[in-house]
Parts: sequence; structure tokens; C-alpha cells
Amino acid sequence: MVFVALPLIAAFGLSLFHWDLLGTPEFAGLDNFQQLVSDTATIRAVVNTFVFALASVVTHIGIGMLLALGVHRTMTRGTKYFVRTAFFFPFLVSWAAVALLWKYVLDPTFGLVAHYLSTTTNWLASPTWALPTLIVVDWWHTIGYTFIILLAGLQTVPAQLHEAARVDGANGWWRFWSVTLPVMSPTIFFATVITFIGAFQIFDPMVIMTQGGPDGATRSIVQYTYEKGFQSFEVGYAATLSLVLFVVIMLVTGLQFRLSRRWVHQ
Amino acid sequence: MRGKVLDLVLVLGGLVMIAPLVWLVVNALSEPIDAFQLPPRWIPRPPTLENFQQVPDLIPFAQMAWNSLQIAVITTAGALFTSALAAYAFNRLRFPGRDQIFSVLLAALVVPVQLTVVPIFIMMRWLHLVDTTVAIWLPALVNVFGIFFLRQYISSIPRELDEAAIMDGASHFWILFRVILPLSRPGLTALGIFVFEASWNNFFWPYIFLSSPEKMTLPVGLVSLQGAVGGGPAVVLFAAITLVVLPILVLFLIFQRSFIASIASTGLRG
Repeated sequence: MVFVALPLIAAFGLSLFHWDLLGTPEFAGLDNFQQLVSDTATIRAVVNTFVFALASVVTHIGIGMLLALGVHRTMTRGTKYFVRTAFFFPFLVSWAAVALLWKYVLDPTFGLVAHYLSTTTNWLASPTWALPTLIVVDWWHTIGYTFIILLAGLQTVPAQLHEAARVDGANGWWRFWSVTLPVMSPTIFFATVITFIGAFQIFDPMVIMTQGGPDGATRSIVQYTYEKGFQSFEVGYAATLSLVLFVVIMLVTGLQFRLSRRWVHQ
Repeated sequence: MRGKVLDLVLVLGGLVMIAPLVWLVVNALSEPIDAFQLPPRWIPRPPTLENFQQVPDLIPFAQMAWNSLQIAVITTAGALFTSALAAYAFNRLRFPGRDQIFSVLLAALVVPVQLTVVPIFIMMRWLHLVDTTVAIWLPALVNVFGIFFLRQYISSIPRELDEAAIMDGASHFWILFRVILPLSRPGLTALGIFVFEASWNNFFWPYIFLSSPEKMTLPVGLVSLQGAVGGGPAVVLFAAITLVVLPILVLFLIFQRSFIASIASTGLRG
């Protein structure tokens, strides 16, 4: 309670004050909220976070599903073991290590990407490419988790259902649509919610790889909260920003649950 | 035939996934002069441990590793203990408002830690705990996800078992520690692995609360090393990253089964 409920209430309270952590807090009313709406950097951070979250969910679920289907189908145990391990490894590596390593992987002169794709694009310094690049790095880091969850879900699909559909003359695609997907829908739903919530809270790769730049192109909500709260010491405004994150997560999660009634099989 | 193609595609995908990690280790084992050559080398020749020996010159690596380990162990033990107690209470005890409190707790699952970090920072400053490892593990002792996860696990244990114990006059503590927890071992293991890994790799919290190098954990230490390296030998940074990454990869290879099972089951049950 002390570390969840109390800070939550405190965050609401703080959002009504101006405070630099040192002097006395000064009552500000709705000042912070007004600043929020007129602050273009906030809007940019919210947009970046949304783009990042949407792209993460689509790629995680899409590619994760293809992988899970592939690994589920393959017959050789060796392949299964290798692929599962290889895709899961990066998830075990801390974001700090991933972010540092990938700064080198992406280096325009001696990095792996530059060499194998034969480009000299400075991915992280480009206002156009920086955010998509972070999306790819996040994908590399986290896909193993989504993949394992989806694979576990796939393994719960009863073989008899497939048999029955086969007897009825359903081909591979049709069996996927009419059997696999409906049975797996709760798992897919869960993975979607979790990926969204995780993506909205993204912080580490921005701080380590791009510092939010170039020119705010990769700054996320959490990172902006951090900058305001712990670098420029506008504690009240930081609390207001964290409330924005809270509201966004609540709204999106609520919306997902509402929409889920249409497609998730109970 | 189609199966062969599929296997090939999957294996190639797997190789691409681990390529950056192999590159990491190869460069960490290379003489500075041989490192980062193009086309990239995939086998170090001759392997050298020189870079690893230089890591302690740049950051207090052993101290940081000790801090990380200490925090991860305390967090894991604490979270397991409090989760077990709370999960038992929420599943087996009857008290007014139980289900309401539990739904509030569930809602807390989606509350981002970032929402609480500013108030907790103020709280920690007030308690003079900023820049101590206590600030890292204290808030992590109660793990909402853990309570939820273990409650699900405990609810699958037949009630007849503890009812029999109650008949014999056993206390709740006795039932929890002698009946329920021994039967929940797979669930406890899964949760333990999960919490340990999350704590070992945590960056956000230590980054905000710790500033002295000798108090930092490995992830924060690594990032500070990036600054220290500057234009210097990136191979030493690679050696340091390798030292951080390798133990957890080896642990994974040993505990692969329970690791995967823990992710799969926490995923499906959450």
C-alpha cells in the first residue's frame, strides 16, 4: 500500500503544485495542466510514444505469431530448440546492455548493419530513422517474450479440433482461421495488452541510445517525465506528465477490453 | 521439402538474432587492434582476456556486481515471502472487503512504476535513502504481480488438504509453510526466476536513485562506463557487457525448461 496507493494519491496532489524539490511547494491550481496542453514537447512525446507502442504491438504480434506457427510446425527437435533459444536470448539481456551493444551494431562506419546492408545511414542521428530504429531494437530485445507466450498458446490448441476440421475438408488456411485463431484469441489478447502497456512505459533505449533526440524525435512520455522531474526539477509538472501516461494506459487498456468482446473467444 | 525450407528459414532467422551477441563476445575477446574489422570477424584470433582485465580500471565492476546480486536476492526473497503471505490470505482466508481489495490490487498491475517514482523519490529523500541500495529493494518487496500469480497457483491446490490440517488444529502459518508452499514449488520457482531476472536487469529505478559509482548496479554502471570510455577502447566496454550478459545466458541454458515454463505460464495466467 505504501508504495502503490500512497504515491498514486501523491502524484495527483503534486500535479497541483509547482515545486523544485528544495523550496516550499507552491500551489499552482491547474497551471501544470495548462502547460501540458500548450507544451509542444509534451505533444511530441505523446505522439512518439503512441507510434512506438502501435508499431511494437503490430510487429510483436505479427512476427511472433509467424515464428510460433513456424516453430510449432517444424519437425526437427534440434531446430525447435535452437530457434526457441536464439529468439529468447535477447530478452534475457538487460536493456542497458542491449542499448549499448546496438549503438555499435548500428554504427555507420564499423557496425554490422552498415556493413551487411551496405549503407552509411546514421540511423540514430536521423530524425526520420531514429524512432523506427528504436522500434526494431525493441523488437529484437522483446520478441522472444511474445513468441514464447504465443507458442505456449498454440500448444494448447487441441489436435482433435484440427483433425475434425481436416475431416470436414478444411485446408491449411481455413483451419488456421477457424480453429487456431479462435482458440488462441485469449492468448493473443493477453500478449497485445501486455505489449501495449510495456511499450507505453519505454524509457531505457531512448535514454541510453538517443537521449530523446535528434531534436525530440525519439523522446517518450516517461523520458520526458524523467527530464522534467529529475533534471530540471519541475516536480509538479513531472507528476502531471506521469498522470498523462496513467490515463493513456487506462484508456487504451479499457478500450482493448471493450473491443475484445468482439473477437476474443471466451 | 516444404518442411526443410521452413527449417532453413527459421534457423537463418535464429542466426541473425544471435549475431549481435556473437559479435559482442568475439570483439570482447579480440585485441583492440583486431576488433571491429570489416567484414566482421566471427571467430576471435587469437582470443585474449586482456580487455576483461581492464574493466575494473574503468568501473568498480566487482562492487557493482555485488550490489546487483544483493538487490536481486533481497528483492526475490522478499517478494516471494510477501506474495506467498498475501496470496494465501486472498485465496484461503475470509475477511471483510477481501475481494474488493483484491480488485484494487489488480488495477495496480497496470499502474506504471513511472507514476509512482516521483512521489517515492520524495519519500526516499525524506527518509535519507536516496543513493542507497535500500531505495531499490524496499519498494520492490511487495510485488503485485507475484501476489496475483501465486493466488492463481494456490487456488488450484485442493482445499481438502488444509481443511484436514485445520481439523488437526494447525495454524494458518503452519498450513501455509507445511502444506501450501511445498505444493506450490513450481509456481514459486517460476516467480523467483522472473523476479530475479527483472531485478538483475532493472535500469530505470537504479538510474534514478543511485549516483555514486560504488553504489550502482551493473546496468547503470555499464551506461556510466559508456561515458568513461568516450573515444577510448570500445573493446573494454564490450568485455564489460559480456561479463554482465554471460552469467544470465548460462543460467538460462541450465534452467531453460523452468525459464520457458515460467514465461509461458505467467503469460497465460496473468
